[in-house]
Amino acid sequence: MPAFKTPFNGYAVKFSPFYEQRLAVATAQNFGILGNGRIHVIDLSPAGPIAEIAAYDTADGVYDVSWSESHDSLLVAAVADGSVKLYDLSLPPTSNPVRSLSEHTRETHSVDYNAVRRDSFLSSSWDDTIKLWTIDRPTSVRTFKEHAYCVYSAAWNPRHADVFASASGDCTARIWDVREPGSTMILPAHEFEILSCDWNKYDDAVIATSSVDKSIKVWDVRNYRVPVAVLNGHGYAVRKVKFSPHRASVIASCSYDMTVCLWDYMVEDSLIGRYDHHTEFAVGVDMSVLVEGLLASTGWDEFAYVWQHGTDPKAP
Amino acid sequence: MATNNSQQSGSGPPPKPWERAGSSSSGPAPFKPATPGSTSDVVEASGTARPGEIVQSNNTTSAVNTLGRPVPPRPWEQQQTYGGAGYGSSLGYNSGLGAGGYGSYGGMGSSYNSGGLYGNSMYRGGGYGGLYGGSSSMYGGGMYGSSYGGGMGGMGMGMGMGGMGMGMGMGMGGPGGPYDDQDPNNPFGAPSQPPGFWISLMRVMQGFVTFFGRVAMLIDQNAQAFHMFMSALLQLFDRSGLLYGELARFVFRILGVKTKPNKIQPPGPHGQHGQQIEGPKSAPAGGWDGVWGNNAPN
Repeated sequence: MPAFKTPFNGYAVKFSPFYEQRLAVATAQNFGILGNGRIHVIDLSPAGPIAEIAAYDTADGVYDVSWSESHDSLLVAAVADGSVKLYDLSLPPTSNPVRSLSEHTRETHSVDYNAVRRDSFLSSSWDDTIKLWTIDRPTSVRTFKEHAYCVYSAAWNPRHADVFASASGDCTARIWDVREPGSTMILPAHEFEILSCDWNKYDDAVIATSSVDKSIKVWDVRNYRVPVAVLNGHGYAVRKVKFSPHRASVIASCSYDMTVCLWDYMVEDSLIGRYDHHTEFAVGVDMSVLVEGLLASTGWDEFAYVWQHGTDPKAP
Repeated sequence: MATNNSQQSGSGPPPKPWERAGSSSSGPAPFKPATPGSTSDVVEASGTARPGEIVQSNNTTSAVNTLGRPVPPRPWEQQQTYGGAGYGSSLGYNSGLGAGGYGSYGGMGSSYNSGGLYGNSMYRGGGYGGLYGGSSSMYGGGMYGSSYGGGMGGMGMGMGMGGMGMGMGMGMGGPGGPYDDQDPNNPFGAPSQPPGFWISLMRVMQGFVTFFGRVAMLIDQNAQAFHMFMSALLQLFDRSGLLYGELARFVFRILGVKTKPNKIQPPGPHGQHGQQIEGPKSAPAGGWDGVWGNNAPN
């Protein structure tokens, strides 16, 4: 499948939960340090090149993007100026963004849409907080402030409407219930900063965390003294981790070592695939919910790749 | 791939694979069962809703630090921590190299070194608090500091990464400078309006703070890659083996030790040639005196 060239450095890529050929790519100019950002919405076609459906410019880099689970045309973006922006593909570009929510006092680093209740999403920020938003309100519903350092990612439990996990630079991952005043669980998961976390889609008590210590750890929240598995193999900090929507024990990850890896944490030789198609830091990875084995990745080399597991991402 | 799972807007996406797979969890459920209703209703019913709450960044007093160890200061905070240390220090790189340690923030301490040049940190933060971040050093006993003991005032901005450095200094000497009354940080007088130029300068510096904050975050997440890059750079500079050799010579010179010029002596006209080949030269009286070449025989 052909690659999609973005003018800026890629930061995140997400498959649409509605259309199997559609993706959103979040990008930021000058490696996200200084400058503008752009969100691309692209469509794959069976033979031809990747077509761009829409592109939205922002005044600061875009660090993450998430598709709405309730409207097929709605996108949520985490922008480096601390705002969270909502885009509606069905509206003309002049009406976008349909909403810009500015409450975070520092860079917003991730957004995640609630796939169970489908009316809310989370944003996590370098101001140490996580905010819960609903699409019908102009202000956040509540703020979760317990982390002692930047919160790099927050992810909803795929089977529980009220539970989510967060990963922070304070070296802890925390489990939260939106009905509780504080976090319900604190996992001192790594010795170094934790950059990402995700839930197992088939076992709602299992999460994976990835860290600056180059490892991915899989945890059972009912017994979090020891990890279920430790996956070593990346050469540098692991930027994102993602459980497969189709296989219970398969995990995709991308790292500053410029590779995208596929793991099966249940088997002994857990590294089942390694792709080194990126020529710069690989910072975004996703797995299609609608097509089994379809992977997407993006990185600072200004490319977004989509490929079937087992094939060469660079193959035309 | 061509099939289009078209859904009407407003309805949900196709069922997830894991929803089709049926029940979850390999053991007892770890969470309370989900409450039916919309998210906002559920949160409001639980009494935890705080609509639109703005949390000032880095308000860690409210945060529960369960680590049992202090968390590192954020990259963008370090200017305040170290007063006039300048921006270079926030990268913590200079000393990081020297010490060989790359613990996320390693070496911030000693990178203060050049900071001391630029004003004292008496008024660090001053009336501008964290808002202007690193620019606080500008007023930190600098420009307007002359009424508090005079001496060297300064506005310092330093960025140092490895060997690359940039410095800017403005000095104003003598006790009781002409700007005494305008000191915006003077705690004894009514606050005066800072001139527009400074405001704009501070905005620019705020941009610097953001820039270096983000660079430092990346380095923080990626300390080893940065280390590799810098060591590769150093190795490149040291290709011909000159860098460290010259550095060592320089250090010796500073210490007052004159190094021997690395020249090969041409064979002397008086038949010393053979002597050099045949055996060790007989030491003149005083043995080691001439070893550094200060009073070498020729």
